[in-house]
Amino acid sequence: MRRQIRSRAVGAILVALALIASACGDDGSGDGTKEGPTITVGSFNFGESVILGEIYAQVLEAEGYPVSRTFNLGNRELVYPALADGTIDLIAEYTGSLLNHMHGTPTPDSQATYDAMVAAIADDGLVALAYAPGEDKNGFVVTAETSAALGLTKVSDLATHNGTLTLGGPAECPIRPLCLLGLQQTYGVEFESFRPLDSAGPITVAALEGGEIDVAVLYTSDGVIAAKGFVLLEDDRNLQPAENIVPVTTDEIIAAYGDDLVALLDAVTAAITTAELSALNKSYGIDATDADTLAHDWLVANGFLSD
Amino acid sequence: MIEFLGDLVQWFGENWDGDAGYLHRIWEHITVSAAALGFAVLIALPLAAWLGHRGRGSLAAVSLVNIGRALPSFGIMVLALPFSIRLADAMPFIESGLGFLPTFIALFALALPPIFANTHAGVRAVDPETVEAARGMGLSGWRILTGVELPLASPLIFEGIRVTAVQVVATASLGALVAFGGLGRYIIDGFAARDSVEITAGALLVVALSLATGAVVGRLGRRLVPPALRNNRKPGNIPALVQVSR
Repeated sequence: MRRQIRSRAVGAILVALALIASACGDDGSGDGTKEGPTITVGSFNFGESVILGEIYAQVLEAEGYPVSRTFNLGNRELVYPALADGTIDLIAEYTGSLLNHMHGTPTPDSQATYDAMVAAIADDGLVALAYAPGEDKNGFVVTAETSAALGLTKVSDLATHNGTLTLGGPAECPIRPLCLLGLQQTYGVEFESFRPLDSAGPITVAALEGGEIDVAVLYTSDGVIAAKGFVLLEDDRNLQPAENIVPVTTDEIIAAYGDDLVALLDAVTAAITTAELSALNKSYGIDATDADTLAHDWLVANGFLSD
Repeated sequence: MIEFLGDLVQWFGENWDGDAGYLHRIWEHITVSAAALGFAVLIALPLAAWLGHRGRGSLAAVSLVNIGRALPSFGIMVLALPFSIRLADAMPFIESGLGFLPTFIALFALALPPIFANTHAGVRAVDPETVEAARGMGLSGWRILTGVELPLASPLIFEGIRVTAVQVVATASLGALVAFGGLGRYIIDGFAARDSVEITAGALLVVALSLATGAVVGRLGRRLVPPALRNNRKPGNIPALVQVSR
């Protein structure tokens, strides 16, 4: 109990600090041609989330909504309470992970996972808009050479090389149903060995690139997959639950702005595919382009902004 | 709490044999630690003794210790990884660039500075009049080093090796992050699986092995020190790091 109170207090302090930081920065609080409450756009503390937050914030600004930004808030344990109490009003979430956070059980079915998630967050006064085709989940990745040499394009292809390949991934992979356990049970894949490495980080990437492992566990929208020319094996038996990008906002914002806002954000969300995410992550993580530049260029390229 | 201790006892009863059992993990842990320490002694000790004998390299000794203290072992391990992967590619007799090799490189880099510094400081700390007397007796430089300076410096040298050995054994746990076995496996895997019993068991094993290493290496060192210098608490026998920074 005491620990819970303390972690909440720490959370509140962090949120307050983030708010102060964003208030000090040039957050471009919109000129607000539309009347209504300011929409505070938040993000998690990783690149993809910052880019998505920037995309939603810029398109809202362009349409004259009053917008402020509170990025890099932290993990879901911090972000969700901030969303529920109105500290932030809009964030790009992930359907499966959010449902998991609400103690639900996500499935590979995007629509079913989304529906269950929508029901789970309704009690907290939260509204999920339409979900994107783009997802970010566990992926099994090989190098282009391995893919060509062994004829690997789908996860099920791995079973034709049972007992010969090495898998590398996070240490918990062998006991996780979405990782090695699932590969064995759903796909009947058996590896020669498993090498415990990091969670889709630089060690796993170096090991895959250097041929120390044949198959790596990475995140499907990881920019490094595109940058290194790796091949993401198709999850053809749908082992992974749906992790579609979905903007989540509050009842108050919907009540204030209604269908116009929903239509605008839904149109943007529909353009966010996994390939687009991957390209954005690559530009951000490997080419070190700023999130606001990336978001602006992406919105222009997809016809949501004029220049 | 009682329940946790019970689980812990049960863990030790169940996880001792096989490739993932702690007997094998302890063996892996000792192997990589001993290899790193052995190579570090083989390279640092002769070099430092020679430089100390010639009265050179004080700056190098101080710099080495400071750099060695500042470098995080995990950083070295991650930096060593691409290198060790390429090395394993080029040399067919190295089975893998993951696991043993990057762990070994990081531990070697960890062990090198303190052994070098203690040996250097130990040789430099030998009373100049003693060396002068030996020279007056007609001893060659080589005989002075091996017959006078090294025996007199030996308490400090072995103390350096003992402290380094403890540090290396404790740090070898990090190897689990680059797919090495060893006792770190239980800490890393236990953390990944949120299994506090496994983490605690792993940590206890690392502590026990570190302490045992200190005791064994310390005893071994004392046996190799000339009898007249054993339990000698002259100023020359205080730890080298203090002397170097003086």
